[in-house]
Amino acid sequence: MQNEFAFFPGCVLTQAAIEAKMSLEAIAPVLGIKLKEINGWSCCGASQAQDVDPLATLVANARNLALAEKMNLPMLTTCSTCLLMLRRAKAQLDSGEKERINTFLAKGNMSYKGTSEVTSLLWVLAQNAELIKSKVQKPLSNLKVAVFYGCHSVRPGKDLGFESSVNPTSFETVIAALGAQVVPFTKRLDCCGFHAVYPAEKSVMKMTSGIVNSAAESKADCLVTPCPLCQMQIDIYQDDAQATTKSKARVPVLHLAQIVGLALGIPAKKLGLDYNVIDASKLG
Amino acid sequence: MKFIIDRFDGKKNYQQTYTVEKKDIEALTLLGTLLFIKQHLDLTLNFTASCRMAICGACGVRVNGHSYLACDTKMTELFEEYKDADTFRISPLSNYTVISDLAVDWEPAIENLRKVKPGLVAKDKFSEKEGCVQNQEEYDRIVGQWDCILCGVCASECNKLSADRSDYMEPFVYTHAWKVANDSRTKDPMIHVKPSVANGLWNCVHCHECTNRCPKHISAADDIAGLRALAMKKGLNSGVGPAHAKSFYTDLVEDSGRLNEIRLALRTEGVSTVLRAGTAVTLMSAGKMNPLEIFGGHEIEGHKDLVKMIEAAHAAHKE
Repeated sequence: MQNEFAFFPGCVLTQAAIEAKMSLEAIAPVLGIKLKEINGWSCCGASQAQDVDPLATLVANARNLALAEKMNLPMLTTCSTCLLMLRRAKAQLDSGEKERINTFLAKGNMSYKGTSEVTSLLWVLAQNAELIKSKVQKPLSNLKVAVFYGCHSVRPGKDLGFESSVNPTSFETVIAALGAQVVPFTKRLDCCGFHAVYPAEKSVMKMTSGIVNSAAESKADCLVTPCPLCQMQIDIYQDDAQATTKSKARVPVLHLAQIVGLALGIPAKKLGLDYNVIDASKLG
Repeated sequence: MKFIIDRFDGKKNYQQTYTVEKKDIEALTLLGTLLFIKQHLDLTLNFTASCRMAICGACGVRVNGHSYLACDTKMTELFEEYKDADTFRISPLSNYTVISDLAVDWEPAIENLRKVKPGLVAKDKFSEKEGCVQNQEEYDRIVGQWDCILCGVCASECNKLSADRSDYMEPFVYTHAWKVANDSRTKDPMIHVKPSVANGLWNCVHCHECTNRCPKHISAADDIAGLRALAMKKGLNSGVGPAHAKSFYTDLVEDSGRLNEIRLALRTEGVSTVLRAGTAVTLMSAGKMNPLEIFGGHEIEGHKDLVKMIEAAHAAHKE
C-alpha cells in the first residue's frame, strides 16, 4: 500500500470544513497513512478562476503539481473539486502543454515533470477496504447511510478515470467495510449545486433539498460525502433549502473521514462532529 | 433478460416490460435492441432514429437514468457498465417534454439555439470572390464543437435544467455559441456571447454531466467557461456570477494565494451580502468562520513567484 502522500488540503479544509481536516488527521495514523502537507500550495481555482483566466489557473495548478513532485510523493486531496482541477491540469500538461507552461514556471525556478499522480482519500480508502475492515473497532451495523458521491468525485469520467462515472462502487465499498448499511438513494450521483449557490440560488436550494428529502425517504440516518464542498452545501444550507420546499426532513451530513473515524472508534470530538451544523451528535 | 420501458400515450405514463433472449440482442447496439423489440414484440413502441451511424443525433435515450446515443452504444458496453445486469430501464431523454413513449419535443430547445445566432456572421473583409478562409490552427480550434449533432444527451443530463429551465438553456446551445464566437471568421463574437449571458450563462452548476455523457466528447461545461472568460475579457462582467468567479481569481493572484471565504461573500454580493447574515452567524457559532479573516490571510510561501509565473504567461499570451 502506498501510504505516504503529498497532501493538498484545498482552501475549504482550513476554513468552513475544518472538521474534515480534523477527522482526516485523526484517521490517518490509525490507517498508517502519512500526510505531508505541501508547503506553499495555492488555491486550485475551485472551478471558478478558469472563468476569468484559464491560463493563469493552469499555471497555478502546474506549480501545485510541481511542488508535490519536489517531495517525490503522489498527491492526495480530500476535496473533489481540487481533485478535478488538479487532474485536469495534469492531463492538459501531459498532453502537450508541459513545455509551454514550464517556460512560465521557470520564472520561479520550478518545472513540471509529470512524475506525481493525483489521488483522493476516497480512492485510497476503496483500494484498501480490507485494511480498513481489519481496523474497525466499532462496526456501524446499526447505521443506515445514504452515500452521496458529489459531481467532481466521478465526473467527467475521462479526467477522473478511477471507476465508472455512471455506476461507481468505490464509496459503497468503503462504507460496507465499516459495517454500515448503504440504503438505496436515488440522488447519489446528483449535483448539490454548490458552485452556483450565488448566481442560481433558487435552483441550487431545490437541488440541495431534493438530496436531503431523497435520503430521508430512504430512511437514512445520515448522508455521507467524500467532497467537503458538498458537505458544506448540504449541511450549512440545509435549513434554508428545506424552507424553500417546505420540507421538515433533516438529515446529518458527514464527511467521509468522519464516518471512517466513527468505525475506527475515534471519539466524536476528535472527528469534529460538533462542528457539523445539522446535529450529528447522535451518530458519535 | 428484461427491458422496462417508460411509455406515454399522450395522456398517461406507464411502464412496460419486454422480455428478450440475451443471445438475440448481445451483438446489437442499443438502437438495434429497440428496433428488435418494435419488430418482434410491440409495433406500438415509439422512438426516434434515423441515420444509425451517430450523425443525425435522433436516437438519444436514457438507460438506468443516464443518457446515451442509442445507435452509438453497443449492448456489450452496457453489460459491462452495469455489471451484467439482467434488467435495463429505458426512458426518454430527461428535461424535454415527452410526445410519445421515447420521442421528445425539440421545439423549445431549437428556439433557444436560435437565440445565440448559431450561424456564422462573417467579417466584412470576406467576399464571394475571395472566399471565407481560415488557417489550419484556426480550424483546429473549433473543429471539436462542429461535431455536435444535437442529440440532446447533454441537456438530458443537465442538473440545472432539471432544477429550473426557465433561466437556463440546453448545454449544447452554449457549445454552438462558443463555436461561432471563437471562429476566426466571425465578425463579432459578442453577437453570440451577449445572448448567452442574457440567457443563463452564469447559472451552470458545474456538474459536468454534459461533458461526461456527450457521445462526441465535447465539453459543454468547458465551452460555458470559455464563453464566460470571453464575456469577462470583453467587459461584460457585471453581476453576481462574474463577481463570484473574479473573487477566486483575486485571492489567487492579488491576495494571499488561497481563498478567503469571508471576503468571497462580500466580493460576490457587495453590501447585499448582509442578507446572508444568518448563514454567517451559523458558521461562526459552529466555529467554522473566523471574522478576523476579513483583514486577509497569510500569504502562501512562494506567492511572489506564482505571480511572476502568471505575469509571464500573460506577457507571452499578448505576444
